[in-house]
Amino acid sequence: MMSAAETTLQRTPVKPFYFNTSAHLLRITKYTASTLVELLNALRECPEDSIFQHTFRTLEEHHFLRAGFSNDFAHWALAACNEPSLAEALAGVDVREFTSVAELRARFIQILESYLRENPESSNRIADETFYFCASDMVVMPTSFQAHTLHEFAEGMRRVSVHSIHHHFIEARLRIKLMSNDFSQWLHEDAGLTETARLLNRIDIYTATLEDVRQQIVRIVERALI
Amino acid sequence: MESVKSEPAASPTPSETTFDHVVPSRTERRTLPRTWETPPAPVPPPHLDDYQSIVGSAVLDELRFLARDLKGKSLKMVNSTAVGGGVAEMLNRLVPLLGELEVVAHWDIITGGNDFFEVTKAFHNALHGAEYELTRHAQEIFLTCNEQNRQRMQFNEDVVVIHDPQPAALIRARQDHSARWVWRCHIDLSNPHPQVWGFLRPFIEQYDAAIFSSQSFARQLPIPQYLFYPCIDPLSEKNKPLDESFVQKVCEEFGIDRSRPVVTQVSRFDRLKDPVGVVQAFKLARKYVDCQLVLAGGGASDDPEGAIVLREVKEAAGDDPDIITLDLPPWCALEINALQQASTLVVQKSIKEGFGLTVTEALWKGKPTIAGAVGGIPNQVIDKRTGMLVHSVEGCAYQIRYLLTHPEFAAQLGRNGHEHVRENFLMTTNVRRWLLLMQIMLGCGTV
Repeated sequence: MMSAAETTLQRTPVKPFYFNTSAHLLRITKYTASTLVELLNALRECPEDSIFQHTFRTLEEHHFLRAGFSNDFAHWALAACNEPSLAEALAGVDVREFTSVAELRARFIQILESYLRENPESSNRIADETFYFCASDMVVMPTSFQAHTLHEFAEGMRRVSVHSIHHHFIEARLRIKLMSNDFSQWLHEDAGLTETARLLNRIDIYTATLEDVRQQIVRIVERALI
Repeated sequence: MESVKSEPAASPTPSETTFDHVVPSRTERRTLPRTWETPPAPVPPPHLDDYQSIVGSAVLDELRFLARDLKGKSLKMVNSTAVGGGVAEMLNRLVPLLGELEVVAHWDIITGGNDFFEVTKAFHNALHGAEYELTRHAQEIFLTCNEQNRQRMQFNEDVVVIHDPQPAALIRARQDHSARWVWRCHIDLSNPHPQVWGFLRPFIEQYDAAIFSSQSFARQLPIPQYLFYPCIDPLSEKNKPLDESFVQKVCEEFGIDRSRPVVTQVSRFDRLKDPVGVVQAFKLARKYVDCQLVLAGGGASDDPEGAIVLREVKEAAGDDPDIITLDLPPWCALEINALQQASTLVVQKSIKEGFGLTVTEALWKGKPTIAGAVGGIPNQVIDKRTGMLVHSVEGCAYQIRYLLTHPEFAAQLGRNGHEHVRENFLMTTNVRRWLLLMQIMLGCGTV
């Protein structure tokens, strides 16, 4: 249920929302890992855009999977190293809890250090496949969609690409340095829809595809319009 | 054999073909298609808007935006052949699409004598790890031919892309021009012949960037290396949607009973594709589930080893009426497409593989796919998510049984696989990568 204050503000956002999107080109770095110790060392040394690629970006590349895919480190720990408990711990890292790649890197390092302390026999076991650290070069670009009203916002949400949704809804926290996303920020700050903004932030990206996320956002925004 | 006429200028569509409507008996089963005895006329390349129903207008808008900053910029592609092979097939589609986006794209082919192509064929095999003695004479042939092509060709474009090792020494032309030079390597360099790689490497290091088809194919180089997955064209003969009636007719032609599950592997008759292993897996699986096996490929008629492998497959199959081996000519894209579409499951049980575009084709058609965990296949088949990865005959047999008896799970794999290809391995994604690369090379856009 929306508050009365929200319903008076919702149709006149202070500023329009401009839908942007981003495109990425994958770069192969010099870092590789064939054991968990090598993974740990590479995690310490690789460039930040590698951490970004194997966490935030891989979610976009696999946006159609509803469950069972979190980040490339967790996938490798299970598929190539057969370390299910480590894989679970790595998969439990939720990128939405981080507003910087440095914090995210530190969390992975912490999990791996802890696991190898408790399971030293796993340290140098050769994996079935090598992990190749990649990175991505990004180009940000506008789309033809902008929203001056909530109706236009909902319409834009229906029509932009999933890359645009990923750009605003998932990658955004690294840009704005807040535990939020561009959509919620606009709904809260420019449209006065604090509760709607909060509901968007509660959407679970790890149990939904990006198309599911799109539909959930549209439904939440449409409820605010009633 | 009856053949079907096609209008030379038009794309032969399934509805134009004629077939006998009688299902052949086992003994009459055909191993060559009734449709084409010679290559059909080439199909005109599609336009960008033709992809809208497949990827959506937002994705095409992104391509147009990326191209906007590159308006008037030019790109030259150089490779060694205009027809045949995956590179030429890709360039035949890519170059017109870039042109439609107002990026001036030129495509040049190097010329050379038999001696040059014998040397480069040997280089190709050696870079895949084969034994080879690199002589001074071979080096001279390679360098002389590259120099002749350098003198013959113009390099006035903003970005020059050299495909594969054959024209790699054209980089010597960069001294005279201000273009950015990129080396696009389509082959697996993970275990190259040291002498051959040692000879080529100094040329490669002079490029501004290199592109590989898989992370595992790359080498450590002092230049940026990008990852471009190979792609399929969803509008090509091999991948476009077909009329159900055509699919049915192809199956009737080859004696495939569509009322029973069909397990298919499409690949050349090559030991690295393990067709005998597929027959063994099928025989193990069929103890528990009713199904037919289709092994469709080529190479047996023009490759002596292919003929030997086909014979081995037939020996392994014995007189089993449910194992259908088809040695098809290379222009049977529509028939291959129909066989894939008619399949209940697709198998690609390779022992060694490049990227594995037959896997991409199967995933695009939404087919539950079982594939060997080699080469570029794990980039496509995410185990238990977009398909099933296997490592043995027994593993392959089990997954055939499992997927045939769990159709809902199999269907989910198929849906995921289709989306994986739509996102990562289609021609439109490839166009986006080239536009991004040009932006990065030329310092345009917000990078």
